Amino acid sequence: MAHKQDKASMLNQGVFIFVYLAVLTVLEFLVAASFNSTAVLIAVALVKGALVVYYYMHVYKLSADHEGDHNSYEYKSGTNRLGLWLFLISDAFVFGGLLVMRMNLLGLTRPNLNQLLGLGVTSILLISSFFMNRGETMIAHGDRKGFLNNTLVTFLLGLGFLIGVVFVEWRLAAHEGLTPSSGAAGAAFYMMTGMHAFHVLTGLVFLAIVWINGRRGLYDEKHYPVEAAAVYWHFVDVVWIVFYPALYLVGTAIV
Amino acid sequence: MKGFFQNLLQWLVATLRVVAITTVGTGVGYLLGIGLSFLLTLLTTGTGVLDFTSPAGVVLGSFFAIPAFSWSVSGYGPVTKGFLLLTVSGLVGYLVGVGLDSIIMKSFRPTAPVPSAFSLLFAFTAFFFGVYGYRGITRGLVYQVVWTLIGGFIVTGIRALMGLSAFGGFFFTEPAWVFGALVGAVAFLFGVGVMDDWVKWARGMDTPEFHEDEPGWEKYLGVSLDHKVIGVQYTVTALFLIAVGGTFALIFRTELAASGLQFLNVGMNLFGQNGPQLYNTLMSLHGMIMIVSILLGIAGIINYAVPMLVGAHDMAFPRLNAFAYWVSVPAAVLLLMSLVLGGFDTGWTGYPPLSVKAPVGQQMFFLGVFIAGWSSILGALNVIATVVRMRAKGMTAMRLPILVWASVATSIIALTATQLIGLSFQLVMFQRLFGMGFFDPAKGGNPVLFQHLFWFYSHPAVYVFVLPGLGVISELLPVFVRKPLFGYRWVAMSSLGIALVGFLVWAHHMFTSGMNEYLRVPFMYSTLLVAVPTGVKFFSWVATIWNGKIETPTPMLFVLGGIVVFLMGGLSGPPNATVSVDLHLHDTYFIVGHFHDTIFGGFVFPFFAAIYYWFPKATGRRMSEFWGKVHFWLMTPAFFVLTFGMMRVGLLGMRRRIADYDPAQGFDTTHLILTIAAFAIALSVLIFLINFFHSIKHGEKAEGNVWNSRSPEWQVPSPMPAHNYETPFEVVGEPYDYGLPGSKYIEFMPAQGGKH
Repeated sequence: MAHKQDKASMLNQGVFIFVYLAVLTVLEFLVAASFNSTAVLIAVALVKGALVVYYYMHVYKLSADHEGDHNSYEYKSGTNRLGLWLFLISDAFVFGGLLVMRMNLLGLTRPNLNQLLGLGVTSILLISSFFMNRGETMIAHGDRKGFLNNTLVTFLLGLGFLIGVVFVEWRLAAHEGLTPSSGAAGAAFYMMTGMHAFHVLTGLVFLAIVWINGRRGLYDEKHYPVEAAAVYWHFVDVVWIVFYPALYLVGTAIV
Repeated sequence: MKGFFQNLLQWLVATLRVVAITTVGTGVGYLLGIGLSFLLTLLTTGTGVLDFTSPAGVVLGSFFAIPAFSWSVSGYGPVTKGFLLLTVSGLVGYLVGVGLDSIIMKSFRPTAPVPSAFSLLFAFTAFFFGVYGYRGITRGLVYQVVWTLIGGFIVTGIRALMGLSAFGGFFFTEPAWVFGALVGAVAFLFGVGVMDDWVKWARGMDTPEFHEDEPGWEKYLGVSLDHKVIGVQYTVTALFLIAVGGTFALIFRTELAASGLQFLNVGMNLFGQNGPQLYNTLMSLHGMIMIVSILLGIAGIINYAVPMLVGAHDMAFPRLNAFAYWVSVPAAVLLLMSLVLGGFDTGWTGYPPLSVKAPVGQQMFFLGVFIAGWSSILGALNVIATVVRMRAKGMTAMRLPILVWASVATSIIALTATQLIGLSFQLVMFQRLFGMGFFDPAKGGNPVLFQHLFWFYSHPAVYVFVLPGLGVISELLPVFVRKPLFGYRWVAMSSLGIALVGFLVWAHHMFTSGMNEYLRVPFMYSTLLVAVPTGVKFFSWVATIWNGKIETPTPMLFVLGGIVVFLMGGLSGPPNATVSVDLHLHDTYFIVGHFHDTIFGGFVFPFFAAIYYWFPKATGRRMSEFWGKVHFWLMTPAFFVLTFGMMRVGLLGMRRRIADYDPAQGFDTTHLILTIAAFAIALSVLIFLINFFHSIKHGEKAEGNVWNSRSPEWQVPSPMPAHNYETPFEVVGEPYDYGLPGSKYIEFMPAQGGKH
């Protein structure tokens, strides 16, 4: 298989991709703060999303092993992988619809939100994806302990993101007068972050399940469930890569 | 000839007996209902009024008619027992509802919505308890009822603690109903048992890859992982919903038979609604229940046929397949709940701002559609994965049966676009619950946005409805003309073409909605473009029939009927797509006629064709040819009268969705004819249903290749065993080379021990 690489180079690749993502995130933050070009923000979000989809979610695995014994674990995992991606495509239409709603209602304005908090939770989620990738790589190479530690870190970071959005950001926004019923901006903000937070929550449940079962060595041989949880987790990250500029950076804030 | 008359006489006597017993049952129920309403008026006002038009009489009459009918047809078996329990529990549920309502609301309200809701839920549950006992679907329904109440009381408790109103006119407040309904729907899935294996997996336990089904009909009422069982479950549920939606249509069609309001008037009160509101509710629910039944119907055909056609032993994800079916059951319950919880008056489209103001029934409707959408999405996912990953050896893309191509095309739409109707309905739900101003101009929202999100699914949805049906036509036509399918590649690609162009046409529903005018012309042309791939299919069908040796058993009749009816739908489409004409035709009965033509031609006729065609595969018996032909020759002319009449009154100025019209417009007579035609169609479907259930046990044995088909599933004896083919096959030729000597489509491989 063309993409099967050794553990060290896979981990290194994860580090490089994370550095790119971090640099691009800082870049988009600075672009928004200085000359605020919508085109540049869209381009940066697309590049970040593509990096995660290719290097963390391994979309290329979909094209592999269409031949072979239909009853082997590899072939069945390939079918499961296709099913998961089909689900993600379907789910992407929900978030696409929310984005259309936001663009239609708000255009090039955005709710007035706490910029540092936004950058903070975004960073937390990106870092969690980095650790998720490490965890998946490790179980794929038979390192159960490394997998468990990294997954636990991912879980805690994801929990941090959820708390940051729902229990900090929502409270701050409501304090500033941005409530669900205050207007189109509030409606769009709570709906988009709420739908995303719901997906983070389900992702946390999956992570908890693979962590608990992983402790008992369930994935030492057959580790597709870990891959599935990881791909789903990265997908939730990709959604936020688009939602973050859409809510925090694009256009001018409504005061 | 003598035998024919003897046969006819026997049928007449049997039918008369059924009619007589059913009439007696109805009469008893009717009198009981009148008596009950007399007692109620006596209790509440002190003076008893004998009201012979009381809805209680009608409702109880039909409640009693059902077990009487069942008893007269099949004697006292599990089904009749179920229906008896249904009637009894319907009454018990009503009384419990009245009691609970009067305790909590501190007033006696026999016509309040909540007793009806209890009655409905109790009746459904008791029916399945009588038939099947406390397991499978019965357990699911019990869980749903109990958890709906628990969820409702949780929110009610929280509201009471927060100092908000705890109860409202519909017993629970709206947030409590919504939360309760959601919890109840999820609880159904746990109750029915479709989550069992997944829960075990999450806990790190192993489950066997297959579960053995119990023999006989009982496997259909519990969770089965066999795609053929699930296909039948889908089909029967679809037939049930078609009967329900059709009954609703008959009720309001009867009201439309003459101008003025005859019985759905302001004087009547049922389920907490007066007559005109009930008209609106029934009209709206007719639309959505039929849509859900169509989605389940195509899922039935696809689930049953596709794995067998591609040579797989099951779908790619059998548990997800079962989940996708079972999630549609609580969804259907919620849709029916919307009828008894105050109804709603928006039509099936649910446009805000009207849908923001409608009673709580609107929320049940939104939630029901949202949950039914998951059935469609997950089913579509499974179909695509199955076709990509589970094909037999040698089954390359250009050797796939056309029905498989059509199923993939339909699944691409259902997988993606369905999310948008779910989202649009969710946004209205949140606007109602939390005052979020998505579609409220006063808060900076935009009502037209709803229409864009809604139609982005709801237009492509019609291609979801018709593509499998058109696939069935292309699949069956060569079998019955004994000729190769003309232009295989073009037909295969035309399904994908329709699916993809279908994503670009949604705003043609909005030419009069006030959207930006520059959008009109592009959407007009993209819509007209759909006629091109559709035309490809027609040319293929005509060229396939040309010079063929045509046989006309019942499935072929429905195939031919489907082609002609769909042609009528196709020809009446482009006028609506053209902006200049649509501005006049929009929201008239012309649209209603056009729509029914496309859906009958693209779904209903092929659906019946598919049932008559694959019935022997599923049961080892075939349905009666004679009654099949009666069904066809009664339904088809009646249907033409119905839709051409609809188009006629539409052109004369009849608006759609309204309960009344001006006699001065001069189409009272046409409406009367339409109503008669509608009843003729209903009679034909009743004949079909009796034929269907009767033939399961008493049909003529048919275990071989009944239709002399080349398709793989007919090369093995019927009914199909649990994991399909005993030995796998290899594709060695073209699928539709009928009449070419020596040509072969598949070859079974030499046996090599175990499979899987």
